[in-house]
Amino acid sequence: MRDRSVRAPWLFAAPLLLVMALGFLWPLLQALANSLHPNTPQGIDAAQWTLDNYARLADPFYGGILLRTLRISLAVTAITALLAYPVALFLARLSPRAQSLLILAYVSPWLVNTVVKALGWTLLLRTSGVVNTVLRQLDIVAAPLKLMLNETGVVIALIPGHFIFVLLPLWAAVSSLDPALTWAAGTLGARPSAVFWRVILPITLPAFVAGLVINFIMNMTAFAIPMFLGGARNMVASMLAYQVNLVSLDWPLGGALAVALLALTLGLVWAGQRAATLLVAGRGLRP
Amino acid sequence: MIRAINILVLILVLAPVVVVMWMSLTPTAMFVLPVTQISLRWYREALSYPGFVDAFVLSAKLATLAAAVTIALCFSAVYGIVRYRPRGAAALRGFFTAPLLVSAVVFGIAMLQFVNRFGLYNDFAGLLLAHVVLVVPFAIRSLEATVRAVPEELEWAAMILGRSRLGTLLRVTLPLCARGLVTAFLFCFLLSFSEVTTTIFMTGPGLQTLPVRIYTYMSDRIDPTVAAVSALVVLVSLAVLLLLNLLGGLRRLTSQ
Repeated sequence: MRDRSVRAPWLFAAPLLLVMALGFLWPLLQALANSLHPNTPQGIDAAQWTLDNYARLADPFYGGILLRTLRISLAVTAITALLAYPVALFLARLSPRAQSLLILAYVSPWLVNTVVKALGWTLLLRTSGVVNTVLRQLDIVAAPLKLMLNETGVVIALIPGHFIFVLLPLWAAVSSLDPALTWAAGTLGARPSAVFWRVILPITLPAFVAGLVINFIMNMTAFAIPMFLGGARNMVASMLAYQVNLVSLDWPLGGALAVALLALTLGLVWAGQRAATLLVAGRGLRP
Repeated sequence: MIRAINILVLILVLAPVVVVMWMSLTPTAMFVLPVTQISLRWYREALSYPGFVDAFVLSAKLATLAAAVTIALCFSAVYGIVRYRPRGAAALRGFFTAPLLVSAVVFGIAMLQFVNRFGLYNDFAGLLLAHVVLVVPFAIRSLEATVRAVPEELEWAAMILGRSRLGTLLRVTLPLCARGLVTAFLFCFLLSFSEVTTTIFMTGPGLQTLPVRIYTYMSDRIDPTVAAVSALVVLVSLAVLLLLNLLGGLRRLTSQ
């Protein structure tokens, strides 16, 4: 059966290959090529090659934006990391029916577009919003808190926005744990905290780290939430990308920004996988 | 403790969506808290605003087409990979799921520069191409499970009885995959329907999907009309999602 045709699988895959080459590879290569040409008032000068656009990204103005993006993303990922295990462990203990119901509750907001969620957070967090109204009615605060148009607002709204990228892989890992393992650890006298640190954590760490890496990348490149909750004064990388590409129409610089962001992303994915492997290996060697 | 954290996160996750639904029912022209009386007047307002209606039609058309094209392309490719196990299958799968590693912003910039070069800025074809690429990884993953679940013996039986390979594919494999194809289609529809970032980078005022239309409206002002149209978006997404869940697709899609 299998040796009848070597070409057949490629014929089946050819249409998709063609579409992906045209709609995925080509655009990325196009942006890469544009980033290596100088920008002139007449447009892109394709006759000349340069690395100037990458050097321009080192400007302190851009550096400040990158730093803010990193700061926000790290804060969100760190808080997510603290919340993920309690939620995943809680879910895994429930009945299958309750589990799928709760997972549905966690997943469904993810499939609602981010602009609608940005609107929701604006209605919640603004000066006259739900949170401030409640706090003032209950006399908890005298003056409304400034909960948005700053980095706090962006962090608050991004945490639930990208939570499932950590929760889903972690939940899958935790619920596929052999119950005999934790039971065995318990009968050998390990307290619940020891069971967590010495048994559950080492086994589920790869899924956890992989989820955190994805979470961090999503935070780095979020667009609508920082736009509405942070505002123009708290510009992050994605808003800068919009500015450069669609307002100043400086495509070589925009291309360089895309390539830099992509390189950063792929570097992180690689580092995350490597770290997870090493961590597990290190734990496994422990007596 | 562990229970309290779970409730806190669940509230954070659901709050923005619930608040939009709740505020869209306000009877006044500005949001006055608390909303005690409810009214559907802003839904009427939203549905008579041509900008939103046109955008909804565009979004629905785009999501339907993108999902249909993606499913056709991916089913064919997955069938080839799963049934023939060619050398390079891993590389093919890696290439098809690679868009997951490219963030929507980076892909949006690349697409903007690409469509402009070919005069496809503000063009439906460019938008369709982008949305297909964005949902391909999800379709590949879910269809792979679908095709694997079809016993190869059934195909052999059909071929021994005289059907050609293609005839077997169309008359045996495809019907057996029907449920998986429908769930993959619904999932792709939802993803395309809620896509914002890449689309914002690729289109100007002439061609706005519903999320992008809401985005530009919100940049101008925030009023009950935009809450009402957002609530309608939530209802559409929720309806598709429940259908997906009923077909048992959500559990499989989320457990990967």
